[in-house]
Amino acid sequence: MLVLSRRIGESVVIGGGSPEAVTVTVLEVRGDVVRIGIDAPRSVAVHRAELLAELADANADAASPPEDAVASLSQALRSRS
Amino acid sequence: MDLPVIELAHPMPGFPDDARFALVRLDDDGVLHGFRSLDSQDLQFVVVPPAPFYPDYALDLDDDTATELGIDESSAADVLVLLVVRAGATLADTTVNLRAPLVVNPATRRASQVILDDADLPLAAPLVA
Repeated sequence: MLVLSRRIGESVVIGGGSPEAVTVTVLEVRGDVVRIGIDAPRSVAVHRAELLAELADANADAASPPEDAVASLSQALRSRS
Repeated sequence: MDLPVIELAHPMPGFPDDARFALVRLDDDGVLHGFRSLDSQDLQFVVVPPAPFYPDYALDLDDDTATELGIDESSAADVLVLLVVRAGATLADTTVNLRAPLVVNPATRRASQVILDDADLPLAAPLVA
């Protein structure tokens, strides 16, 4: 891992020189909270790491339910309408 | 609606190797659908349209996602929004993911699991209240 010190207003460019470069700018530091701005091309999705991990877990929980669970869900929905 | 081959613009988080899916109907009412991987055997997500369960659910698709999925003014009305279901032991235990719906453009057969910015939307909301 590359570790850098930056001041407020300073940036780091990732993938410099290419049109796909991502620029990360330190906007504000207050206590233990750092606000950062990320300027990335549309092909690069930017998300909080913990949200992606939560979504991966939620997807894994939802994946491939057993057939009888799907059948009983289908039946429960039908009897509800 | 049944769609034979849908290509994901990005893999779903947790499933990096699955890019191609098929959408198949699972019930007679056309509510439950299977979002079935064509790349892994036996990988399937159960999905539902939001309308019967969350009639007010609406999402603002950002321009980048719209571009990625080939959504323009002429195709916007046909775009499918599907909620991923986690089937519980009972209907009361069954949840849907409101934070990250699947958005499918039937015209281009491209799709993406879109992570919405609204932090108030739960990853696991009851399917029926």
